[in-house]
Formats: sequence, C-alpha cells, structure tokens
Amino acid sequence: MDAQAATALPQGIEFERGETAEEMYVNMGPQHPSTHGVLRLLLKLDGELIKDCIPYIGYLHRCHEKIGENRNYIQIIPYTDRLDYLASMYNNWSYVKAVEALMGVKPPERAEYMRVILGELQRIASHLIWMGTFGLDIGNFTIFMYCFREREMILDLFESVSGQRLNYAFFRIGGMPMDFPETFYNDADGFLEWFKGRLPEYDRVMTDNIIFQRRVQGVGILSEEDAVGYACSGPVLRGSGIRWDLRKNDPYGIYDRFEFDVPAGDRGDVWDRYMVRRLEMEESARIVEQALAQIPPGEIMAKVPKTIKPPAGQVYSRVESPRGELGHFIISDGTPNPYRYRVRSPAYVNLSALPAMLKGCLVADAVAVLGSIDIVLGEIDR
Amino acid sequence: MKAEEVLEKIKGQFGDAVREGEVRDGTVYLTADGARNFEVCRALHAMGFEYLNCLSGVDWKDRFEVVYDLSSLRFPAKVHLRATTPHDDPRVRSVASLWATANWHEREAWDLLGIRFDGHPDLRRILLPEDWVGHPLRKDYTDEGRYVQFTPYGEAKKAASHAAHGEAKPGAGAKPAAQAGAGQGEPAAGAAE
Repeated sequence: MDAQAATALPQGIEFERGETAEEMYVNMGPQHPSTHGVLRLLLKLDGELIKDCIPYIGYLHRCHEKIGENRNYIQIIPYTDRLDYLASMYNNWSYVKAVEALMGVKPPERAEYMRVILGELQRIASHLIWMGTFGLDIGNFTIFMYCFREREMILDLFESVSGQRLNYAFFRIGGMPMDFPETFYNDADGFLEWFKGRLPEYDRVMTDNIIFQRRVQGVGILSEEDAVGYACSGPVLRGSGIRWDLRKNDPYGIYDRFEFDVPAGDRGDVWDRYMVRRLEMEESARIVEQALAQIPPGEIMAKVPKTIKPPAGQVYSRVESPRGELGHFIISDGTPNPYRYRVRSPAYVNLSALPAMLKGCLVADAVAVLGSIDIVLGEIDR
Repeated sequence: MKAEEVLEKIKGQFGDAVREGEVRDGTVYLTADGARNFEVCRALHAMGFEYLNCLSGVDWKDRFEVVYDLSSLRFPAKVHLRATTPHDDPRVRSVASLWATANWHEREAWDLLGIRFDGHPDLRRILLPEDWVGHPLRKDYTDEGRYVQFTPYGEAKKAASHAAHGEAKPGAGAKPAAQAGAGQGEPAAGAAE
C-alpha cells in the first residue's frame, strides 16, 4: 500500500479548512520516547494528516564551537567524541583529518589502516544501534536485543584497543596513540565471522517481516531534488537514489584501496533508508576484513611538534560518518587555539529536511520517518 | 567543470566584486563583496554547484565573513567562497532560495554571530532560546548578562515584555533588570556592543 492510497479520503468527501476537520497544532516532544533525545516537533495536523512540521532544537546546546575556540588543538579531541556519541571514532577522525590538512601532516600507513578498521567497526556499531532503536520505534522489540548483543561485542573490541567503551578520544593529530593489542586481530576476525552469520537473522526478524514492510514502504518520501537541495548526506541521500559516498566519490585516507559497494535506494522512502543501512553493514564488514588482511607493520605516529600550531589558514575537511557528511571547518591564526572552529554535522542538516518528508504523512508515521533519519541530538544541538 | 574554469568565469562576470581568487587542490578560493554575495552564489549555482556543504559565519573583529562551501555531485571541483560584510551592521542576502539547506545554517549564523540575512524566510534563533541576549560566538561576547530562565514553549514575548517594563520575570530574581531590558526588548540590539 503506498502513501497515496493510505491517506485517500472516501469519495465525495473533501477536506475544507475548518469544515470536515479541524486544523490543530500538536507538540511531539521535547520529552517523547521516540525522539532519541530532547527534540520538539510542532506538528500542524488536519485530522490525521500532517500539514506541516516545525522542529525546535537546541535543548542540548553547549556551544561546542565556542568551547573549541577556547581550547588548544589537542584538547578539542575529547570534545569531538561528545558530538555524535554513537560514532565517536568517526568524529575524532574528521577533526584530526582537518587539523592534519592544515598542518600538511600525513599519518603513517599503519595508522591509516587502524583508522579504517576502527572507523568501519564504528559504522557497524552505529548502524546496529540505529536498527535496534528503529525497531523499538515501530514496535519490533526483538531486533533491539539482537542488535545490542552484537554492538556490545564491538564495544568490547574498542575497549581492548582504547580502554573506553563509548567516548574513545583515540585519534591523535598525526596518527594513533598506541597500537592494537595482540589479541585484537583474533577477536576482530572472530567477531566478523559471527556477525556475518547474524545478518540473515536480522532479515528474518525485521527485513522480511511483512508487517514491518507495510509500515515503512511508501512512507516519508524524500525526492531527489529535495535531498540535494537540503544537502542531505549519508543514507538519507543514498536512500533517495543518489549513489554518493565520500569514501568512493572523494576518497580520503586509504579508502581507494578497498573494494566495496555503495548501496542506494530508488524511491526515497523509509524502507530505502532502512535497506541502505542494512546493506552498508555488510560492506563495512567487507572493508574491515580487507584492512585486517592488508595492515602493514610500522610506525603509527608521524612526527608532529608537542605544541600544535598550524600555520595561518583555513580548511573545510569532510568525511563520510555513519550519518553522512561530517565536516570540520577550522581557521587557524598560527596560535595554539583555533580562531574559528565549526562543525558541519550531518544529522543537523538531515533533520532540516524532515518537514519535507513529513508533509502529507499520517501522524502515526511521524515516528517511523523521524527514526529513519538517524538523528543524534548531541551532534544536532552541539 | 574544472576548478580553473569556474574561477575564470566568475572573475570575468564579476570583476572587482571578487577578489583573491586562486585554485588549490581542486578547490576555488574566492572572496566576494558581501553586497553582491547573492549574485555570485546564483552564478555558481547555475554552473552546477547544487550542493551547499556548509555555511559558516566568522567574526574577524573588524568585519564579518560568511563562508560558503560548495560542491557538486557530478564533478569534483569545489568552491570556498567568503563574503565580507561590515562589523557594525553585518548583513548579506539570504541564499535560502537557491539552496534549501541554507535556511538552518543562516539561522545558526544569526543566532550565534548576529549576522542578518535579508530575505530569509524565517530568521529566528535556532540553537539558543528566543530570548537569549547577545551572540556567543562573537569575539567580544561576555556572559555578564547571563541567561537565567528558560521559557520552553515560546513564552519569550511575555518574558520580554516583562523585562521591557522593568519587572523581573517570574522566577528570574537574579537577573539585573537593566540588562534584561536592553537585550530582550529588541533582539537585534542584543549584540554585545
């Protein structure tokens, strides 16, 4: 059933403002179990139909950018963890990559491999938590338990590497602080072996579930033009049928050495965004496997001064985080603190396209559509 | 489209309004006059830069800058455009009609830096509460008139009128009335000048 059919009125009845149905405003949030944090949506309803949606954000605002301006370049690294706390490794990466570009430092080869391995494991962990909570949003509790079981294993791997389970602060400007422990390779291989066997399980619980499919297909459609106009990125952009992934289209690090596909949808509905993330987990596992096989021995830290003072200049550097294009715009004036430090967070930009997706949806679908964007309020509110 | 071509075309079209044009690593670096930012952006949009990666404001103490990072999903060239605007009255034309994503970025630049975007469909604060005083990312911002009470459901107007009449907001005992009045009566004057 597509959205048109679901929302069509019986013949002979037409909505006239204030006649057959009353327009009203309904608050969804700030405290709502499916807003994944503190987000307020003001929905303008005409009966069951959503006419408009106004997001209100900022409940978690701490002026991350001002904090950044008052810290030196190394001190900022742990703060970046707290932007998108479900993909901390990737936030670290985006930030150190921007500073490295400013300084003209190239990390050693082994460090690049470590980054790819940790980054892609992080992508799997982030997509897992998304899949689990998305299942919760639309009433599938089982998948939540499955996803968190596997995510826990990735966190164990990260703990063995960095000592932390959520906010790692594990990347350094110019490389990595310490090497993988001896046990890591075996554990990672074991995890991938186990994980690949679990994907069909998820399919049986979630993807092939006809109730789930009916719930998400044809809902919350984002057209190609809107996706580009709103500068959506990551799975939201790819779900709308644009095969655009910075790892392929503007490769950074050593991503051009790996073989992987970029899944994309064609209709831009919630189902497509779901499938993109579901398939991306397989691709990430493929990349980790290749990286583990190829990783060379050697140095993990380039030569960088103790006090980081990048030469005056500015840089906008971007990576493909699990949520999309994560950019850091840094202006240096030659001092140990950045003059201006700006984060382009993918969830912030993707959320701005939510009204375009919600218009014409049923109010019961709002939760599914919001869930399909994969928002993290820590990153949106900064 | 190659980065060099983009630079040539823009220079040919706008002449003196565009300064400091150069190409580094496939990115065109341009500095434009803030009064003509919209025309330059429109020309770039017509060239195929349909993707606005990021829009940021920068406080240079003697001037403000609005920085546009543009790219395309069809060719690798990128543009880093800086539009300058005076410090005492920072305003440029909104580009939200060209790129829908500019809407939230411009609201953020207004919120945190106090740059006005003429023609913006809905220029409200986005990250800070509506009745916040000042723009925190300005270099001369001080938090003396620090915010005391949060009005979660748009009661800002009520709070502002309280303040304008010199009354303390309910529950906002610690707030000096003079500072509250200066900032909240007229949000545009709320900058830390």
